Amino acid sequence: MTSPRFTGTERPTGLFRLSERGWGYLLAAPAFALVGLMALAPIMAALWLSLHRRMPIFGVDEFVGIWNYLQLWNDDRFWAACRTTLYFTGLSVTAELILGFGLAILLDRVTSGTGRSPRLAQVMIILPWAIPTVVSAQIWAWLYQPDYGLLTYLLLQSGFIAAPIDWLADPDWAIHAAVVMDIWKTTPFAALLLLAGLTSVPQELYAAARVDGAGVWHQFRHITVPLLMPVIVIVLVFRTMDAVRVFDAVFVLTGGGPGNTTETLSIYAYKTLFQTLQFGYGSALATAMFVIVAALSSLYVLLLRRHLRETM
Amino acid sequence: MAGAFLLLWVLSAAGCAQGGGGADPAATVLVFKHGKLSGDGAVVSELLREFEQRRPGVLVREELLPASSDRQHQYYAMNLDGGKAPFDLLAVDTIWVQEFAKAGWVAPLDDLLPQAERDEFFPGPIMAATFDHKLYAVPWYVDAGVLYYRRDLLDRHGIAPPATWPELVHAARVILDAEQDAELAGFVWQGKQYEGLICAALEVIRSHGTDLWTGDRGRAETGLQFLRDTISVHGITPLSTSMADEESTRRLFGDGRALFMRNWPYAWSLLERAGSPVRGKIGMAPLPSFAGHAAAPVLGGWLLAVPQHSPRREAARELIRFLTSPDAQRRIAVAIGYNPARRALYAEKSLLDIRPVLKDLYPIFLAARPRPVTPYYLMLSQSAQPEVSALVVGRKTARETLEAVRRHAERLAIDEGAPFVEAPL
Repeated sequence: MTSPRFTGTERPTGLFRLSERGWGYLLAAPAFALVGLMALAPIMAALWLSLHRRMPIFGVDEFVGIWNYLQLWNDDRFWAACRTTLYFTGLSVTAELILGFGLAILLDRVTSGTGRSPRLAQVMIILPWAIPTVVSAQIWAWLYQPDYGLLTYLLLQSGFIAAPIDWLADPDWAIHAAVVMDIWKTTPFAALLLLAGLTSVPQELYAAARVDGAGVWHQFRHITVPLLMPVIVIVLVFRTMDAVRVFDAVFVLTGGGPGNTTETLSIYAYKTLFQTLQFGYGSALATAMFVIVAALSSLYVLLLRRHLRETM
Repeated sequence: MAGAFLLLWVLSAAGCAQGGGGADPAATVLVFKHGKLSGDGAVVSELLREFEQRRPGVLVREELLPASSDRQHQYYAMNLDGGKAPFDLLAVDTIWVQEFAKAGWVAPLDDLLPQAERDEFFPGPIMAATFDHKLYAVPWYVDAGVLYYRRDLLDRHGIAPPATWPELVHAARVILDAEQDAELAGFVWQGKQYEGLICAALEVIRSHGTDLWTGDRGRAETGLQFLRDTISVHGITPLSTSMADEESTRRLFGDGRALFMRNWPYAWSLLERAGSPVRGKIGMAPLPSFAGHAAAPVLGGWLLAVPQHSPRREAARELIRFLTSPDAQRRIAVAIGYNPARRALYAEKSLLDIRPVLKDLYPIFLAARPRPVTPYYLMLSQSAQPEVSALVVGRKTARETLEAVRRHAERLAIDEGAPFVEAPL
């Protein structure tokens, strides 16, 4: 008995009589199912939960429609958390992109040579990103300490400040202290992505530009940036998503205080979900966060599309 | 670095599973969950071994949670909600009992502690543990806010421990001005945005004959304003207090860098232990009040409870009786300075000889008042914390703060259809 062979001329029968498109769907189905199960189902579950008033400790579980969202609309704490989150995101993502670009160009210069030092430089730069956030936040909390912290000591010694500043206790400084820590931690990530982009830019373009008499700035402005735009958008999307959802960095440093000046949306959601156990309202908060991330990401992609259309 | 973490991990794993377990497969293994005790918690392990000897066939496994009350609450909330808790006995904070009882997470223990015996405990914890006329937890040890002061510095300037808040400000100002020590702070308290801040604020406001959520607004605003003024006007409290919790203030005071400190009694043993820079130089007093009003220490402390559906409930109840017995309470008090919940012990000469401070603490514990006794307390506190923290750092005025705190409470009362019950004065 030999197994049936498909010669290309016989038409398959029964289950196998599918069009090419049908086959495509069939073969992609497991992947769809997986994505649906892993990504879509939890999102839908959270969305469904956000339409309930649910506090298991008091046995409260009722469908309330958009009541949670109406509450959210009138919740000053929610709007304050939105402002804090967007402020944090704007500052940290901008700085990370600029600094990351600088680092990437530096690394690109170094790595174009050979030897051990380029690798070492890459490893050194990536290190902050490799440290778990909770650990690095704790390290920064010590650095920020007004009495024995390194930062205050250095600033005092160099004469930049006259008296110790309590970075985390001062409501004006606290959020910026968190931003600085985040920049330190995730600039390497931006740099790494941009470096990958940089190495793919054909060197001939620079050579041609030099022949035409273009300076370094013009080369950067008209060759590097346009060619890297897709990578820049990827960096922006990734970093924005992370920054909007920021939790551990800020939570370890300040816990949302003082006076809620550093309470981001995730911290508010965490406190609502896990400290006061209001699952419905907490889910509404999480959904709002999701909407913000989605809106910002679509904005970036839209900008990228327009950019590509204009340049190509 | 990695080695250090590995070591920590191994140590914590070892710490999580002290004693018990594994020896006898037929034995009933009771899992006792509680937060890490300050200092050396060996005395509790010793007591548990003794219980095992008295009750052959029962083994007790101690499982520790982080010392932070918030973390413990989160753990219990997640594990008790399913109805099948992986433990048989738990230590609960005074502010959780109402919530856990209403949620049906812990079993009533009425018959374990007859009415007559309840009177042998301080009234505060019993009140906090009574929900719907039933007792849901047995007081294990009690806490209340107290004022620590540097006896040596006060003596040097001929100043008595302050009885009122203005006296405290005056004393701090005089001594700070005379000492001219840039390292020395006047008065430190827990100002971080967390439960401890609510305790500190309640004590000031209640010592003005009103309360944070109810009662006279004007006097409550004066109380709140006082908290802010210690930082901004009197300059006796460093701004870092707005990020300070119990331990950071205890360390500051313990390094000899603060004149007055609001804290719980647990700090006493740590400040007085050998090698402490302030050993023998400190005193403990009731918290000050505003003139014409009584001091109002907030009640803290921990109680023991049994999960609703524990299959080993009988043995767990016996263990509660054992751990809250006068003998066990005495030994815990001697070893780690946790204060007995039973009043009679405060009259025992042998115990007072070892821990004379108990004599001063007795009237304070007797007067200590619980935070609002309601299942909704955590929500109430959670909504007030950011507001009071904003006041501390000067982002809101006392009036705005009080307004916001009470507005949140009213909203809560409407949403839940159940206004909280205020602890009687």
